[in-house]
Amino acid sequence: MHEVSLVRSILSTLEEQFSPEELQQLKQIDLQIGVFANVEPLLMQNAFEAVKKADGRYEHVVLHIETLPIKIHCEDCGVSSLVENYVFVCSRCKKPSNQLIQGTELLIKRVHFED
Amino acid sequence: MVDKSTKAARGTVLCDNANMNLLKANDFVAESIRRKMAEMGILLLNITSSAGSGKTTLLQETGKRLKEEFKIKILVGDLETERDAERLREAGVEALQIVTGGICHLEGQMILQAMDAMDLDGVDILIIENVGNLVCPASFDLGEDYRVTLLASTEGDDKPKKYPRMFFTSDLVLISKSDLLPHLPFSVEAAMQDVRDVNPAIEVFPVSSLTGEGIDKWCNWLREKAIAKKKSTTANV
Repeated sequence: MHEVSLVRSILSTLEEQFSPEELQQLKQIDLQIGVFANVEPLLMQNAFEAVKKADGRYEHVVLHIETLPIKIHCEDCGVSSLVENYVFVCSRCKKPSNQLIQGTELLIKRVHFED
Repeated sequence: MVDKSTKAARGTVLCDNANMNLLKANDFVAESIRRKMAEMGILLLNITSSAGSGKTTLLQETGKRLKEEFKIKILVGDLETERDAERLREAGVEALQIVTGGICHLEGQMILQAMDAMDLDGVDILIIENVGNLVCPASFDLGEDYRVTLLASTEGDDKPKKYPRMFFTSDLVLISKSDLLPHLPFSVEAAMQDVRDVNPAIEVFPVSSLTGEGIDKWCNWLREKAIAKKKSTTANV
């Protein structure tokens, strides 16, 4: 979708949180992307490479992407289950649920700096 | 999150989810739009669909039928041209075009800026006609009360499963161009089943801007929501 603007958003978020000196020591960014986020990890990697080239400051930084499946919570039986084929029903009691507990993430989970 | 004034970050830093959400800027703006609309008692709708499914035509019809009863304004997003806003003005509805210049969706910031350029005094219903796209607009909260998605009979009944996030986040699905259903291999039941797999509680019904099928039902839905919004605001004052 709009991976380049998301990559810019990663960098601006980090620039808000860390000083330029700290960011010089940045080694790796770990992202979590939910399957329901409508973001394609491969395109995100490509966009990251393109933005890195244009920016020049993050040449040695690696982007690691973890994909998270969609999970819902069932109010009736209290069970959390994975959603398969976009059928939003509880895996135990088969009751429909739209209580999403995982799957829309677009998060910077961890950042790694030089020790 | 490590406080940058006290300690230099070293090694691995585990991030705070709330701070490191990549859409947090949009979500923040969406919340401020929602607050503003709640204070003013304006019903805010986000209308989404694929390109060419009949959003503008439906809104022309809606404007014609409801403009005596409610003050309606429309914000319409497109990659280029003023064409949709012109069509809506011809139907007697005040419309402002947002030209995204190639961006595939509307973001909260664009809505907030457009609102600044608009006189919202006395407005009952503000409708955002999103860019025709079932993918990207799904992820961007615009502060709307309700998201309404059109699925045209000409698109095929298999779309809800192909674009699940949009149908998951919608409150109402209108099967548009229903006048063409007799000529197409589109099963309303199959489409409804697919929509409900993704979103069990959702309301789905067919509409045709050409024959008028379902338009009264749609206008009643809108009327009911606008009145409820107004009431919730006056109740809070």
